[in-house]
Amino acid sequence: MSTTTATTTTTRRAPADSTPHVARLPEPLAGPRPARGIPFGRLVRAELRKMIDTRAGRWLLVAIGVVIAGALTVLFVQQGGDHPYGAYLQATAMPMALLLPVVGILAVTSEWSQRTALVTFTLEARRARVAWAKVVAALAVGVVAVVLSFALAAAVHAAAIGLRGATGDWGVEGTVLLGAGGYVLLGLLQGLAFGMLLRNTPAAVVLYYVLPTGWSILGSLWSAAASAGEWLDLNRTMQPLFGGSLTGEQWAQLGTSVGVWVLLPLLVGMVWVTRAEVK
Amino acid sequence: MITVDHLTKRYGAFTALDDVSFSARPGRVTGFLGPNGAGKTTAMRVVAGLTPASSGTATVLGRPYAALPTPGRHVGLLLDASAQHAGRTGREVLTLGAILTGVDRRRVDEMLDVVGLTEKESLRRVRNYSLGMRQRLGLAHALLGDPEVLVLDEPANGLDPAGIRWMRDVLRGYAARGGTVLLSSHLLNEIERVADDLVVIGNGRVVAAGTTDELLSGTGTVARSVDDAALAEALRAAGVAVSPSATGGLVAETDADTVGRVALGAGVALRELRAGDERGLEEMFLELTAGAAREEVAA
Repeated sequence: MSTTTATTTTTRRAPADSTPHVARLPEPLAGPRPARGIPFGRLVRAELRKMIDTRAGRWLLVAIGVVIAGALTVLFVQQGGDHPYGAYLQATAMPMALLLPVVGILAVTSEWSQRTALVTFTLEARRARVAWAKVVAALAVGVVAVVLSFALAAAVHAAAIGLRGATGDWGVEGTVLLGAGGYVLLGLLQGLAFGMLLRNTPAAVVLYYVLPTGWSILGSLWSAAASAGEWLDLNRTMQPLFGGSLTGEQWAQLGTSVGVWVLLPLLVGMVWVTRAEVK
Repeated sequence: MITVDHLTKRYGAFTALDDVSFSARPGRVTGFLGPNGAGKTTAMRVVAGLTPASSGTATVLGRPYAALPTPGRHVGLLLDASAQHAGRTGREVLTLGAILTGVDRRRVDEMLDVVGLTEKESLRRVRNYSLGMRQRLGLAHALLGDPEVLVLDEPANGLDPAGIRWMRDVLRGYAARGGTVLLSSHLLNEIERVADDLVVIGNGRVVAAGTTDELLSGTGTVARSVDDAALAEALRAAGVAVSPSATGGLVAETDADTVGRVALGAGVALRELRAGDERGLEEMFLELTAGAAREEVAA
């Protein structure tokens, strides 16, 4: 026994000490270490990048673009393209409202399913800031998508007028544009909120898509659920946004449902994320 | 500098860390050892602010991790090489790190070069990386912000012998430059070669801490004489525990001076008198963690 330990003694650390370091070390960085935390804008930039730097994220955005282009093409071909701008607008807003929330869900849940939260929260330990950066980044993507698609809808409508002799009908009020945009962005926020609450991609996606159907099934079976749905079914409370003007009661209903399905899960998710153990 | 002070972490009835205190000093590599489930990873996660402590504190460079401004510029972490998005390329992982840490993008190329990932490999998705490549990527990520402190959990896992040698050189060089390195490993030979200080943990408690030389230095004195039996008799009479040495002679649980004096008094001529054999790390590890180790099937 002691023979082997004696051998260990003589060779211990010999390789590290007797040979010069062959491994290259990184150059030290010039300048003082930052005394301030990571600026919020930098967090948002990183989060934006994360949404498009994986195949899943990229293809999701491409798919949304393809569906919108498809919907516009159908309108352009149908009935000589003779539809008002409002119809074109709706054709772009609906698929976006349906698919963009998945961008929000993935922005949050992929950190947990891919376990990158471990890295993210060690590079920025103020976790709530990371969560808010995700919200801002997702909304930025949403706003760009909405503006682009509305512009695309306008271009296709103009093309229908110019190329196919459709009757021009630009009669869309600003409030309708805002309402349609708000509809899409609220859906996106809901996706983010569900992602934060559940932190699991399939669960968040399923809940997001099943919830509206659940309301209509429940409502058809049980009248109390139907009347509760007027206040809690986001799909119904957000519908008037498309018309561009809401009554006081509709605002209240929208506010209630957004509070329950967007703000509440968002806040609970935020609290959880700041306290939880990151595995 | 990492200071862990009376750290306790409980999960319900299970105590993962029980009043753990140790520190990792600048300019030195501190090896963190312990059997599976002893609490090494939990302790490192508490240091990194990922796991909240039940009581006690862990500070890095004098502050709690969460209070470090732009942590990536102060601390480099490699806690789990597999915790990367499988669909991102290695280069993209580093680019995101560079954006958050606020270092120049050219640093990404430098890090890839330092850890030996080629341009082509850096453009592959992490999904297609071997564990060794992930470890290299993880180390590149940890070094991005030129941190003062490195915390690495099992960084040698999955590395080939050349990679292990390279990792050792990097860590030694890093400490020689004044950095603080805390690393855990199951490869005891590796730790023995690279670590200046050791912290041994078992069942969530620190069972030994000190410099590697201190911990591995043998206890007692080896003595050989013309009449070992008489010497043993005299030593026992002087109240010194004595056992036969495996290589012949005696091992006395005291210092060389005492053995010499006793031999002189007894009139036994000595042939050899020296400090006891240094223990191997493996021996020390198994001895210290015997109570904490999982039940092994008796061989």
